[in-house]
Amino acid sequence: MLLHGARAIYLREILILRRKLGKTLLASGVSPALFLLAFGYGVGRGAQVSGVDYLAFLLPGLLTMSSMNQSYGISTEINISRFYFKVFEEYLLAPLPRWQIVVGEVCYGITRGLIPVLIIGGYSLLCSIDLRFSILFLPALLLHLAIFALLGFIAAMVVKSHSDQATINAFLITPMMFLSGTFFPVDQMPLAIRVVASIFPLTYSTQLIRTTLTPGMEINYALYVVLLGILLGLFLIAKRIVSRVEI
Amino acid sequence: MQLREPALNCADITSCNGRPCEIEVSGLSRSFAKTIAVDSLDFRVGRGELFAFLGPNGAGKTTTINMLTGLLKPTAGEIRYHGDLFDPQQLRTKQLIGVVPQHNNLDRELTVAENLLIHGRLFGMCGSVLKRQIDSCLMFADLSDKRDTPAGKLSGGMKRKLVIARALLHQPEILFLDEPTVGLDPHSRRRMWAFLRRINQEQNCTVFLTTHYIEEAEALADRVLIIDQARIIAGGTPGQLKQSAGNVVLDIYNGDQIDNEFFAERSLALQRLEQLDTSVRIRETTLEDVFLQLTGKRIE
Repeated sequence: MLLHGARAIYLREILILRRKLGKTLLASGVSPALFLLAFGYGVGRGAQVSGVDYLAFLLPGLLTMSSMNQSYGISTEINISRFYFKVFEEYLLAPLPRWQIVVGEVCYGITRGLIPVLIIGGYSLLCSIDLRFSILFLPALLLHLAIFALLGFIAAMVVKSHSDQATINAFLITPMMFLSGTFFPVDQMPLAIRVVASIFPLTYSTQLIRTTLTPGMEINYALYVVLLGILLGLFLIAKRIVSRVEI
Repeated sequence: MQLREPALNCADITSCNGRPCEIEVSGLSRSFAKTIAVDSLDFRVGRGELFAFLGPNGAGKTTTINMLTGLLKPTAGEIRYHGDLFDPQQLRTKQLIGVVPQHNNLDRELTVAENLLIHGRLFGMCGSVLKRQIDSCLMFADLSDKRDTPAGKLSGGMKRKLVIARALLHQPEILFLDEPTVGLDPHSRRRMWAFLRRINQEQNCTVFLTTHYIEEAEALADRVLIIDQARIIAGGTPGQLKQSAGNVVLDIYNGDQIDNEFFAERSLALQRLEQLDTSVRIRETTLEDVFLQLTGKRIE
């Protein structure tokens, strides 16, 4: 059966996600709503950024950030299943090429990442913000979600404990959330921050997703290639790490 | 405690007990940093044997099982299944193996049947074959009426049975069980022993189990390997091991301590008994005595 291992892992994750869908929906919806209220209606009310209303600038950024959080969030689940419930052992014992574990988990990360996209799409209707859900948006979104699911997977494989995981979140994910153009345009930041932002994949996916969603913004097609390159690089790293992982 | 020099014959551990050889281990070692967890193990397991790896906590039993199942890479040595060198990347060999880990690594949110379904899919099973096998395993483990119960809501004994049923789902030739009855009450433990015997006999499965319960190894195993501090210290059938130590033992009470003396026959023990003027108990030798005689300590 083609990709039987990846499909089994994806099925397992989806069955579990179904059991806790209510909590996941709530968690995916609350945080962007609060950011929207604080930054969109509080700080940035009436302001214009990059030639558009700040709310129209912010919403694609929130969509990118929240979906990143959900896709990357598989790291915590894998971490718990690896170190606490030891379910991950089942994957390592099964007769499947280990790269299929990467594929199964990344597909699940992409699925999880779609949840806030739907929620924020709903928010855009409530706020009467005109987002352009074009055909160019979909590949940008899929690349973005796959990249962060892969980062989450790699993080879960390299850490040795739950606390290591928290450290990675504190030093990588949180700075990425605030310095990659979610709330403010990166090109208006000081040089040091622009340099730091340039090493974060979120900077590129935020820029691409924002331009594919906002009418009047010019799409930089080279960013698809950049994201595809990052995706392939991360997949090779994940494949290598999982082939060597021990319990 | 009176100790004698170990006088046990370990030659038997490198035979297959008169059966075709299923697992062959030579020079198997594993270190973690500067700690040697398993040191140069050599043994063979025959097809259809119920083979026990007996030793105290921390002796190296789980590390050995993890290497035998591909979860850990050996630092040195080799493992062969049916004479072929084991490579964890080789999927065909993994198909032969079922593993019951020490902990119940079930998906607690998923139902009993869903836990089996996922395992079957991971092993490439699907459709009516998988459905039939799930039904059969649930019946075998006496869990048919629990199929839609979340695994997290099962009792400890039922969880253990489900983990074993899951390991049997893909009809492995060899079943590895790491401390299968740890955490179970004595009644459940005895039921589990009967269940394991059924697996060995009815499913024609080679069973390799680790345990630190002496009575478990004695009650279940065709052959026992005793491991302590990462090394095999004795091996053979429970009868051979006890015979090597002496079939009869005298517990000689000297104040707070008990000295043991071993004898090949009861008559010899009785002769010695007549010479003693302290409180003495005469009894048959157990594997605990064997371990005690070899190491000077009890299995904990």
